[in-house]
Amino acid sequence: MTAMASASPRSVSVAVENPGLAAQVSASERKHLIKMLALLAPSVIFTALFFVLPLALFMFRSVDNPEIQTYLPRTAEVMQSWSGQGEPDEAAFAAIAADLNAIRGQPSLGLIGRRLNYALPGARGLLTKTARRLPIAEGASAKDALIAIDKQWADPALWGVLHQQSGRLTDFYLLTALDLHKSPEGELRRVAPEQRIFIDLYGRTLSVSLTVTALCLLIGFPVAAVMARAGKRAASWMLMLVLVPFWTSLLVRSTAWVILLQNEGLVNKALMALGIISSPLPLVFNRAGVIIAMVHVLLPYAILPIYSVMKGVSGNHLRAAASLGASPLRVFRTVYLPLTLPGVAAGGTLVFVLSVGFYVTPALVGGPGDQMIGYFIAYFTNSAVNWGLASALGAFLLIVVAAIYLALGKLVGFNRLRVR
Amino acid sequence: MRPVHAAIATAIVLTFAQQQALGAETVTIVTQGGQPGDVQRKTVFEPFTAETGVQIRVDTFNQELARLRTQVETGNLVWDAVSLNPINEVAGCEEGLLEKIDWSKYARPEAFEAVGGFGECGAPYLASPGALVFDSDRLKGDAAPKSWADFWNVAKVPGKRALMYQPDQTLEIALMADGVPPSDVVKVLTAPGGVDRAFKKLAELKPHIKWWKSGDESMQLLLTGEVSMGYGWLGRVNAANSSNNRKLRIVWDAGYTNALIFLGVMKGSPRKEAAIRLIAYQLSAPVQARHMEALGNPPANADASPLLSEARRASLPDPKSRNGMMQAGQQYINFWLDNGDAIRQRFATFVAQ
Amino acid sequence: MRSGSSTPLIERLALSGGRAFTYAVLVFLVAPIFVVFPLSFTAGQLLVFPLPGWSLQWYREFFTSPLWTGALLNSLFVGIVTTIVATVLGTMAALGLHGARFRLKPFIMALLVTPIAVPVVIIAVSAFYFFAAVNLVGTYIGLILAHVALALPFVVITVSATLQGFDPNLPRAAASLGASPLRTLRTVTLPMIAPGVASGSVFAFVTSFDELVIALFITSPQQRTLPRQIFSGVSENISPTITAAAVVLLMVSVVLMLVMEWLRARSERMRRPVGAEQ
Repeated sequence: MTAMASASPRSVSVAVENPGLAAQVSASERKHLIKMLALLAPSVIFTALFFVLPLALFMFRSVDNPEIQTYLPRTAEVMQSWSGQGEPDEAAFAAIAADLNAIRGQPSLGLIGRRLNYALPGARGLLTKTARRLPIAEGASAKDALIAIDKQWADPALWGVLHQQSGRLTDFYLLTALDLHKSPEGELRRVAPEQRIFIDLYGRTLSVSLTVTALCLLIGFPVAAVMARAGKRAASWMLMLVLVPFWTSLLVRSTAWVILLQNEGLVNKALMALGIISSPLPLVFNRAGVIIAMVHVLLPYAILPIYSVMKGVSGNHLRAAASLGASPLRVFRTVYLPLTLPGVAAGGTLVFVLSVGFYVTPALVGGPGDQMIGYFIAYFTNSAVNWGLASALGAFLLIVVAAIYLALGKLVGFNRLRVR
Repeated sequence: MRPVHAAIATAIVLTFAQQQALGAETVTIVTQGGQPGDVQRKTVFEPFTAETGVQIRVDTFNQELARLRTQVETGNLVWDAVSLNPINEVAGCEEGLLEKIDWSKYARPEAFEAVGGFGECGAPYLASPGALVFDSDRLKGDAAPKSWADFWNVAKVPGKRALMYQPDQTLEIALMADGVPPSDVVKVLTAPGGVDRAFKKLAELKPHIKWWKSGDESMQLLLTGEVSMGYGWLGRVNAANSSNNRKLRIVWDAGYTNALIFLGVMKGSPRKEAAIRLIAYQLSAPVQARHMEALGNPPANADASPLLSEARRASLPDPKSRNGMMQAGQQYINFWLDNGDAIRQRFATFVAQ
Repeated sequence: MRSGSSTPLIERLALSGGRAFTYAVLVFLVAPIFVVFPLSFTAGQLLVFPLPGWSLQWYREFFTSPLWTGALLNSLFVGIVTTIVATVLGTMAALGLHGARFRLKPFIMALLVTPIAVPVVIIAVSAFYFFAAVNLVGTYIGLILAHVALALPFVVITVSATLQGFDPNLPRAAASLGASPLRTLRTVTLPMIAPGVASGSVFAFVTSFDELVIALFITSPQQRTLPRQIFSGVSENISPTITAAAVVLLMVSVVLMLVMEWLRARSERMRRPVGAEQ
């Protein structure tokens, strides 16, 4: 980490008057700077090592493709020089027969089977079945032998996949995460309709996040306004009530919502006792539950920045506008709203960015149809063991978050916020 | 600065206490947790520790193969013995995550033939049937369902239906509802068009389905009346009935799925011998009988059946009936290993739409 | 802001409507948390109202079951170590940032703060792959390192905020008067920034104590923390013990929040006479 000291205006002015002292001052400045950088270094190294590096390695997984070159080295070599058109020649068949024979009965066969199965369901079974019947007889044609074991070996789609996937890097996971795949001819195509899942997933994640953000702002704005206008004591009480959930474990709050919203939960029982409804409303394990719980979790993130901006808005502006004859609505629209907009933008950005990455709350209070990107990243990491795809989804999520920060980050002013 | 000193001291004491607890040989076994986990601890693990002095630590997981993979690949083994569904037993074995063990050295192989015998890596220790369940206090007389066709018939008995948020078992149930006899389900499902047929049948019921993700949730939905009937596992039904004093009833005659749960040893476990000893203990007929008597599941070891109480045997599905669909056999396992990812993706899309 | 007779009726109506709305929202914010209170005292097995009776059985279960006490101890241990490491590193970084002027400073600040901005799921999965490669999955060190990465920004931010009204030349002045660096730190710097360091460390502790997602990915049963134990309780085995655990978690959070507020009020009092207008 090289950091250059910028000469401060003070030392420049001194230098003009007294060169000897200037040298002394700048030496001491340098010593001071080195001391300060030494204080910084542990945190910077720590963050680089345990945050930036893991993140970079995770992102790299979305294009990383070591399996075929490692487990099927001969095949990978032949495939690299093959045009990818039509049916490959005897050399390709001989190469894969030799590769499969070499890893017969080993874990490698299971791993390469899993990898190819991502791109071509059934490939795992084909490889296992083929390996079991290897090696092929001395002098026989590998092509004939493999096709005799399973006629899928004559399928151009299989060879197309092998050809496309044989490089050290792949676009396969990134394309899959966009519901796209490459035809054997190399054209981009959308996957079959019943397999399309990710575009909907992004849409769902964005729509839930936008709904939550809108609700948080709509609810948070008047609350912050009332808090800003309240007396000192009342305001500090209200602030406390906003902060209590802010400090409470997300897990505890999500669990509380499950208990409250279930069919025989308090909310339904109360509504039924009041005669408002006759049968319980489905409030939990569906979209409504997710949105209620997420608004609850994120509302303080909207209220606090708006409140802190509103506190700074002087009542004089408003009174001045009113005294000039503006209607209250007009004062609100032309004076109050523009003045408080930075707070609204900060709160909105914060809520949106946090909600895009939500995982625990939807997992607890949502139904299967309400899960967002975070859930699928976890699913592909843990259960499906498709780490490339998990990483590709993570990359897209990170891009969304980064884009919002780059566009609106200045408004948020992170270091001024009491975020938790 | 004093609080910091205190904090450091506390930290050191705590670390020390942690290590003390781990003094003796400890085998970590991973099971599915929940109430069945408690039963297993009381009837299997605690007696085992009393007999052998080997400590047992229990962790739970939901069949996430990734957690086995990272441990084996880095050689950083925290688990020794794992409980696996039939598909993961084969996948884990193929991918080198489990030790290959000849279980016939530790248990009488003939006693396990009825459930399909030992796997290459794992040994089956219990069967977990999943079936149509309803609350007999809520649905009585004519309203009580008798078949999966009744389950699909929301006009006759209104209310939501609970199914598992997972295609394996659910697609099989859909085929049974579509009139496929349980013994033919594997054949129909793995044949071309089988999956489409199952999804088509599921689509009929879809607006009324409540998906559950854990065994406990499935019971909670039935107990709170959130659904009028559901798909649930025998062990969970027994636990729900006994701890809440309720009358959930299983309709075996409608046709049910039956999965074997295997126990295997993590590849490269430094405590392999102790892990095998623990598993062999669990496979023995007396322990199987004690465990299954309390849990209410059918034992995998046929020698254990005569040791069960009369009442317990009556609560199990009749082993001679042809209503059970065994989730086993090469054709079935390979089908899910080859097409599982694609079907799960299609399933997720189907549910979310 | 008392509404005098000059205030138009419409504004007064809006104001009282706004007040009513605000109270409703505040109830919405706080009420669900207090739902878990009565439930943790239920004599029944299910988490439903009305309670069949009152009982302390779930607290007994919580404080006697090794699963729960182990989780509580783990959470405390990891939380305390995380707090110490994050507070030391973060305070040093904040002092360095405050005292130095160099071109890359905004970049360094951004780097130190980004972990807050990245979705936790992504941090957790990244940590999972990375720690798996370096053999730290399923270890206390792994969990603590990941928690420190998450908690560090909070310390940097809070301490930096305290330093804003603090002249960076003060410690140098002390040094030039012959005070040793350690003495300068003890007598000049620390007293000034103590409230910030304290609230930063409270943030760090709560970040670790409440953290679930990373724990889900990289812990083994040995390091099972309280949130993880509650999570598996909620998703695998719903028993009222989780509400008892939730109350304990809640108590810790609320106590720490009160400590925070007290510290904040104190630091504001301390600063006011200096005349720093913020």
